[in-house]
Amino acid sequence: MLLNDTFRAAERSLNRNKSRSLLTMLGVIIGVGSVVLMTSVGASMEHLILGQISSIGAQSMVVFPGQQEGAEGTIVAGLDSLSFEDINALEKLSTVTSVAPAIMVGVDYATFGREKTEPRVIGTVPNYFQNREVTIQRGRLLEESDIRAARNVVVLGSEIVDDLFGRQNPIGERVKLGARSYEVIGTLESIGTQFFQNADEFVFIPLTTARAQNVQKYVNVVSMQSVGDFDLAQYDVETLLRRRHGIINPEGDSDKDDFIVRTSAQANDILGAVSLGLTLFITMVASISLIVGGIGIMNIMLVSVTERTREIGLRKAVGAKRRDILLQFLVEAIALTMFAGIIGVAFGLGLALLTAAIADKFLPTYDFVISYPSIGMALAMAFAVGLGFGIYPARKAARLSPMNALRYE
Amino acid sequence: MPKKKNPSTAPLIETRKLCKSYCNDELETPVLHDIDLTIHEEEFISIMGPSGSGKSTLMHILGFLDQPTSGKFLFRGEPTRTMSDDELAAIRATRVSFVFQAFNLLPRTTVLDNVILPLLYHPTIPPSERIERGMNAIEAVGLTDRATYFTNQLSGGQQQRVAIARALVTSPDIIFADEPTGNLDSTSGSQVMEALQDLHDRGGRTIILVTHEQSTAAHAKRIIHLLDGRIDSDSKKFKRVTAKNNHNLKK
Ligand SMILES: Nc1ncnc2c1ncn2[C@@H]1O[C@H](COP(=O)(O)OP(=O)(O)OP(=O)(O)O)[C@@H](O)[C@H]1O
Ligand SMILES: [Mg+2]
Repeated sequence: MLLNDTFRAAERSLNRNKSRSLLTMLGVIIGVGSVVLMTSVGASMEHLILGQISSIGAQSMVVFPGQQEGAEGTIVAGLDSLSFEDINALEKLSTVTSVAPAIMVGVDYATFGREKTEPRVIGTVPNYFQNREVTIQRGRLLEESDIRAARNVVVLGSEIVDDLFGRQNPIGERVKLGARSYEVIGTLESIGTQFFQNADEFVFIPLTTARAQNVQKYVNVVSMQSVGDFDLAQYDVETLLRRRHGIINPEGDSDKDDFIVRTSAQANDILGAVSLGLTLFITMVASISLIVGGIGIMNIMLVSVTERTREIGLRKAVGAKRRDILLQFLVEAIALTMFAGIIGVAFGLGLALLTAAIADKFLPTYDFVISYPSIGMALAMAFAVGLGFGIYPARKAARLSPMNALRYE
Repeated sequence: MPKKKNPSTAPLIETRKLCKSYCNDELETPVLHDIDLTIHEEEFISIMGPSGSGKSTLMHILGFLDQPTSGKFLFRGEPTRTMSDDELAAIRATRVSFVFQAFNLLPRTTVLDNVILPLLYHPTIPPSERIERGMNAIEAVGLTDRATYFTNQLSGGQQQRVAIARALVTSPDIIFADEPTGNLDSTSGSQVMEALQDLHDRGGRTIILVTHEQSTAAHAKRIIHLLDGRIDSDSKKFKRVTAKNNHNLKK
């Protein structure tokens, strides 16, 4: 049989059995589509979660007071062990820069006219914004002059803007944080959640302004960036703080310290763990989709075995060799599964895109991510199942005598 | 064009103690017992016998569609048992063709595509000749106006004629026809017999047909009677009816 004829025979056979072809294709489309959808959504989630953690810049280090039991142990927070003198000393270190202390100001409500919301008020310095990846939306960020003059100015997170101003431009308006009134100088783009805290409900006032109304003598958190070698910077910071706090801890045992250093290296470790967990989860979901899709394809192919076996019997009766039969079925199965596979990928991606469009309304940082390996895997699965369950019965039928195949029930 | 005579002296088909049993679910049904049969080239044979006597079973074996359970089956002196699958396929493609009692047409496929199916597997007939050969075969059974119909849009008799056209299309050496006129009226029945007879008389083909009808069997030169899976009688006939001078086969 000529190759040309094989292709034509396959094409005619697919055409002749339209409903069977369509059902098989549907199996492949659903199987491949669901894998592509699930993995794309999974990858988007991973991207989202990793985004939270990686929002500490690569060279960033964050120090906060407290004690940690063991390297991964529980954190006892709320200690007042980081003083402003510590900050001054840190600023003198040559291995770190952009030192940015921040303190929390206990304010219950922010109000603008009759609008009211619950912000988290942070007193800090301009460096803070450099150490976190924030983007200004309107107006400007805090500046050194605001700090020096202890101005009553505020930069608002996007959710606070929404709550208090809706669509109005807040720049130049005055909001009340507790009893005091502040001028709005800037607003931030939505950040989403960072470290699982909603960073959009933060508002920022100059550190000096915050200190003027707070009796608090300690710092809640200080962020900074390393200059040059990261490990050296971390060593310098730890050594400095231990010396100043009178802690003898040459082994670097975190139990003994009264402060906790978080670095992007640690963040990367967490990132790796989270990423691994998610990957396992997605793989599991994808495998289930693969199995379900595979069984669907398999069923449809098995249903048609009787008819196919008779057709094979007839083709053999008029002179087809085993090879002719197998080649025809091979071409059929490949054409069918590949065609349906591509539709399935498009279908899955379409749904994933739709999911992303919907999710974007609730999770602004949700991004549409395509998982290429899973597309490959889904296509390979469709291919293997289509081929296996298309070829295996054909192979069996081609071995029967023509009469036995023709009589097959 | 008369067929070249095979130089070998061996008969076309020879069976010795050929037996066939069907085995289903441990249940063995013996059907053919010790069939000894010799068929030479250019014979025209009718096989007759009551229903269930094993006519179709024998035809399937002789037509390379089924394997005997035991005994010898020689084709041109060569034992078929040792032939490879590809050798058997080549014989089916070029030497023999079969008109099934149950037609066995491809569903949802046109008459023409059904008829030219064997040509796809024929090693020497070029693709460019397919349509012409197919249409000629269809014409021979009087279905030219139905060539583009799907087979499931045809009557039983028309389907039977498609099956016959498919058997003619490769101009094989031997045509096995299992009740080829069973579903036909006398006119189309004699048309089919005319085509078969023409292949035999002018084309030198070997024809083996199964029939219940005495009048159809009368076209043959030799009549074999089967009874309960054994050859009951095997007789040569010298006076033969031809479809041409007896247009209405008596039923
Ligand atoms: N696949 C099979 N399995 C078991 N028994 C079978 C099978 N095919 C045929 N038989 C049996 O073999 C016997 C002969 O069948 P066969 O079809 O050869 O008869 P036949 O002479 O062609 O009859 P008819 O004139 O009705 O076509 C029957 O008794 C039938 O029951
Ligand atoms: Mg029969």
